[in-house]
Amino acid sequence: MESMRVDPVDQAVISQALVAAAREMGVKLVRSAYSPVVREANDCAAALLDRHGNVIAQAELIPMQLGPIGTTFRPCAEVVPPEELVEGDFYINNDPYQGGQHLQDVFLFSPIFHEGVLVGFGATVAHHLDLGGGAPGLNPEASDVHQEGIIFPPSRYNLARDWNGGPLERLVRANIRVPEETIGDFNAQFAANGMGAKRVEELCRRFGAETVMAAMDNLLDYSERRMRQSVREAPDGVYWGEDALDDDGVGDTPLPVRARVEIRGEDVFVDFEGTAGQVKTNINCPYASTIAAALSCVKSVLTSPDIPFNEGSKRPVHVSAPHGSLLNPKAPAPVRARMLSAYRAFNAVMKALASAVPEKVIAAGFDTTEVACLSQLGPDGYRIYLEILGGGYGASAGGDGCDAVDSPLSNCSNVPIEAMDMEYPFFRLEEYSLREGSGGGGRHRGGMGFCRKYRVLADDVEFATYSDRFRIAPEGLFGGEPGETARTYVERAGEVVELASKQSFKLKRDDLLVLLTGGGAGYGPADERGETDRARDSEDGIVMQAAE
Amino acid sequence: MRVGVEVGGTFTDLVAIDGETVTVAKVASTPARPDEGALAALEAATILLGGVEDLVHGSTVATNAILERKGAPTAFVTTAGFRDILALQRHSRRSIYDLAYAKPEPVVRRRDCHEIEERMGPDGAVVAALDIAAAEARLRAILDGGDYRAVAVCLLNAYANPAHEMQLAELLAKIDPGLSVTCSHDVTREFREYERASTTTLAAYVQPVIDSYLSRFEASLGERAFAGRFSVMQSNGGRLPAAAMGRNAITSLFSGPAAGVIGAVRQAGLSGYRDLITLDMGGTSTDVCLVADGQPAISGETEVDGLPIRTPVLDIVTVGAGGGSIIWVDDGGMLRAGPRSAGADPGPACYGKGGTQATVTDAHLTRGTIRAEARLGGHMTLDAAAAEASLGPLAERFERGREEIAADAIRVADANIVRAIQLVSTERGRDPRDYALVPFGGAGPLHAAAVAAELDIATVVVPPNAGVLSAYGLLASDYVTYETRTRRIMVDGDAADQVRAVFQELGQAADDRFAALGVTGDVDYSHTLEMRYVGQAFEVPVPLTAADLDALDEASLLAHFDTAHHRVFEFGGSGGLARAEIVSFRLGSAVSPGTLPALREAAQGGTATEVEIFDAGARTTAALWLRAALPRGEWLDGPLLVEDVTSTILVPAGWRARVDECDNLVMQKGT
Repeated sequence: MESMRVDPVDQAVISQALVAAAREMGVKLVRSAYSPVVREANDCAAALLDRHGNVIAQAELIPMQLGPIGTTFRPCAEVVPPEELVEGDFYINNDPYQGGQHLQDVFLFSPIFHEGVLVGFGATVAHHLDLGGGAPGLNPEASDVHQEGIIFPPSRYNLARDWNGGPLERLVRANIRVPEETIGDFNAQFAANGMGAKRVEELCRRFGAETVMAAMDNLLDYSERRMRQSVREAPDGVYWGEDALDDDGVGDTPLPVRARVEIRGEDVFVDFEGTAGQVKTNINCPYASTIAAALSCVKSVLTSPDIPFNEGSKRPVHVSAPHGSLLNPKAPAPVRARMLSAYRAFNAVMKALASAVPEKVIAAGFDTTEVACLSQLGPDGYRIYLEILGGGYGASAGGDGCDAVDSPLSNCSNVPIEAMDMEYPFFRLEEYSLREGSGGGGRHRGGMGFCRKYRVLADDVEFATYSDRFRIAPEGLFGGEPGETARTYVERAGEVVELASKQSFKLKRDDLLVLLTGGGAGYGPADERGETDRARDSEDGIVMQAAE
Repeated sequence: MRVGVEVGGTFTDLVAIDGETVTVAKVASTPARPDEGALAALEAATILLGGVEDLVHGSTVATNAILERKGAPTAFVTTAGFRDILALQRHSRRSIYDLAYAKPEPVVRRRDCHEIEERMGPDGAVVAALDIAAAEARLRAILDGGDYRAVAVCLLNAYANPAHEMQLAELLAKIDPGLSVTCSHDVTREFREYERASTTTLAAYVQPVIDSYLSRFEASLGERAFAGRFSVMQSNGGRLPAAAMGRNAITSLFSGPAAGVIGAVRQAGLSGYRDLITLDMGGTSTDVCLVADGQPAISGETEVDGLPIRTPVLDIVTVGAGGGSIIWVDDGGMLRAGPRSAGADPGPACYGKGGTQATVTDAHLTRGTIRAEARLGGHMTLDAAAAEASLGPLAERFERGREEIAADAIRVADANIVRAIQLVSTERGRDPRDYALVPFGGAGPLHAAAVAAELDIATVVVPPNAGVLSAYGLLASDYVTYETRTRRIMVDGDAADQVRAVFQELGQAADDRFAALGVTGDVDYSHTLEMRYVGQAFEVPVPLTAADLDALDEASLLAHFDTAHHRVFEFGGSGGLARAEIVSFRLGSAVSPGTLPALREAAQGGTATEVEIFDAGARTTAALWLRAALPRGEWLDGPLLVEDVTSTILVPAGWRARVDECDNLVMQKGT
């Protein structure tokens, strides 16, 4: 598949320009978006695809959304072949059972033409704050995917005809609760796609479309080469890892996630045989998300961070999961909280790799997407606050786990407290602090989780959440101690009401909602911790968790 | 006589201008005591300080204090519930696949972070009152518990109402008058608590260091009979009397790159060039900045060591491309240049200090665009054989000749610089073809023509003494202050009057500040609104001229915003859905220090000799000129190599060059 030869320096220049264009798309998407999930939390991704739908370059925003953009593209191309597209057309897809992730992540693909020839696609995905469904922002009680919001099956529309007041936009607007923000975010996606198209067209004018397309092919091969090079350095063998979710949100039975990881030459085979079956609640993980989780783990552990992530870097990694399992569910199972299962898939692969490359892995961390959603229906419509919370990272061979940071598959920023104060009159944050002692002890300690205290300032405020690691603590590596589990409770009139990890709850004025996110586990035995580190922990009030 | 002294990491540069006479000096910096290097530069230039009426100083003292964590022991004081905001930061990671990720380390440890009971609301209303007696007891306990020299006070929502911060500052002054106290409302009055707290803490941390540095330096100047004005350079591209640094020393961070931009603006401006992209290429990195109509772009934020700083600075983008950038092949087989640098030690292979890895400088030496005899700022001769040998393995790997691989590597480095320029131009809605490229620094003038060609920039302007341009920028700079405020105003019929009122208030604050510092003269104001559509989190800067402001009404305000928004996002916008709002105000105030001196270069006799270089894929003969000997006003066709004591200029084939009446060397594509 050796394609047209491109001068090596031209190749470097074009590659760099493509990566830069994808990054610019991402920056502009975030900066022109409306909903806090995208604009503050960066829960979105942007990419350039070649004319076949292979991801060439991506903005590095959220690892979870980096892997599978190509997987989401292909079902669209099956509905309407790319060669039938005309200027202004776009594909849309959010269907978890046709290559999508969860409904909130809506993928838009805009074709890029140069002198009438299709050269590639600009693609963006954003997590939309509300897409209808059974409750504002988040419906933890959904028993099928239809209660989670509106489904856009893989389809082709036209911007001029169907959007900007056209039938598709009107349909969407009528089915969502906060149209200004959601439509604004769609527009930000279209704008970012347009920016990507403009940059690719500039490159085509400068180097010729043929050269640019050949350089795209080469960039895929380049990433594949570097990925294979890294895999080759890891020892061959079959490795096993296992972790578990607390429960499905209804019962209290742990749900195991098992990974078999085989490194053979320059290929990695990940199989999730033995993982729990799909459940009735929203923690099912669509196949595209499972692939992304496994791929992110393999890439983070085995390769250098500067390999451009694209379809080529996926080629050496082969992922499979039994159909009907938690990691490859059948329609119409609900999937909103898929990140929880995706994280356990990440952990299981990490634990397997710990046997292969102990110096390169980290201990288990909180590794959970904890979603906190507060909403209120006021006289002017809905107000929805939604934030993604992480916790402590697991420790590594080189150092302590990172404190109070978003978990590895995601990368959301917090909403500034002063922004919350301006935007949401129905609650006030009274505390945001490190959770002392929540990091597991070890030669290197796990990262700390954090504490959030929300004072509720009005009646009839809905709280909805999903989280995990309330019961099963993250395990330490090589003698390290487990991290502290997470906890959510409400203080109401002097009483403490404990909440489950996955539920909704109606709050009243003066309630204090307290979220404690989990810590990461330690690496190596705690008695090997250095004197300087101990002294510093004690001076800074970072009390270690006692050994069990 | 007017003197600029710029203390950099390696060299301390000086430019002195007395009428038509320009004196230039370059001495080694003395990192432990930077003022000694500055005094040495004055001595090297044989300047009698008694005759100097204007001395402007820039240094890396503040930057180094932070990078080396050598600031003052500092306590951080904030609203109850939030002592950890410096550690929590923004919850995201900068490197998403790095499993051993560590956050940027704050300069204040957790044990030194303290809380006070109080709370302001976002509208400035008191939510929880400050109990003065309790606060005093608490502050006394805090100060007793640590050996602090500085206190940073940043309370929630203090940008909207600083009353509680002021009360705490008074209490602290009462408890210990010797303590250096920095409050957030004095440093930046914009919302987003982490960024404001970080700025305040960094400012408090460097304040005592700057205070003692400047007082020691002023004492030394006094001993040498100096009686003129003494000013300090800021990162916003303006100077202030040294006394101003007693309140907000954080503005002196990164003053060196800012001074370079100002030097380029002033010197190119003498020849009538007002739309510029500056390109400052040194040993390890390249700084670029876009200048529109003589005004360098301003950014509301920057960072040091990963820690955010919210204060207006020149919008300079830095890439790791310099003379010392290492040329290498990654594990996917791609040729790369930088960002790793050989630094000054061992330095490029040609320095003969034990470096074996090829660098950009070695590539230039190999293709003949730096001559072994040219003395690169320092005083060493270069080892051409070592340079060529260092490229050997790369040449073999790609089956190229050594000169060819040298040219390839330089193209790769150029591509990195092109990317940086695209960041400040195309990505911000500016077309680089509308600008002249102004290279300086040791290596800038060597790369400028190729970079310009990549971007279709038609004109390159190389200032004289391009290696000491930042020292000239110091003495060419205006007195500048910025006043910023977060104040949310919905765009409606009343908005224009409110805008004028807020700018009036900020103008008064700036005038008071200048008056207190003894700065007199006509003030040139620049007005910028930070605006967004309601619901967005990021603002777009909307500049307004004085005339715009006078004529402002609801429609024109929206039109100004739409233009600015469209420039950046092109396809974006609200689709007519969302309303627009103003979030913050920024008023820049500038006072000129007097007539602008020119950076001239004394003409010198001499003629061209010939030199062999590798240009445009082939070995070719270029004319070699000493810059001072170039005939004034006459176009010469490339290829040319032009040397002065601080840098080498390459005029490739297909370009021509001419020294104009202001001593700028102007290059144009086409002959």
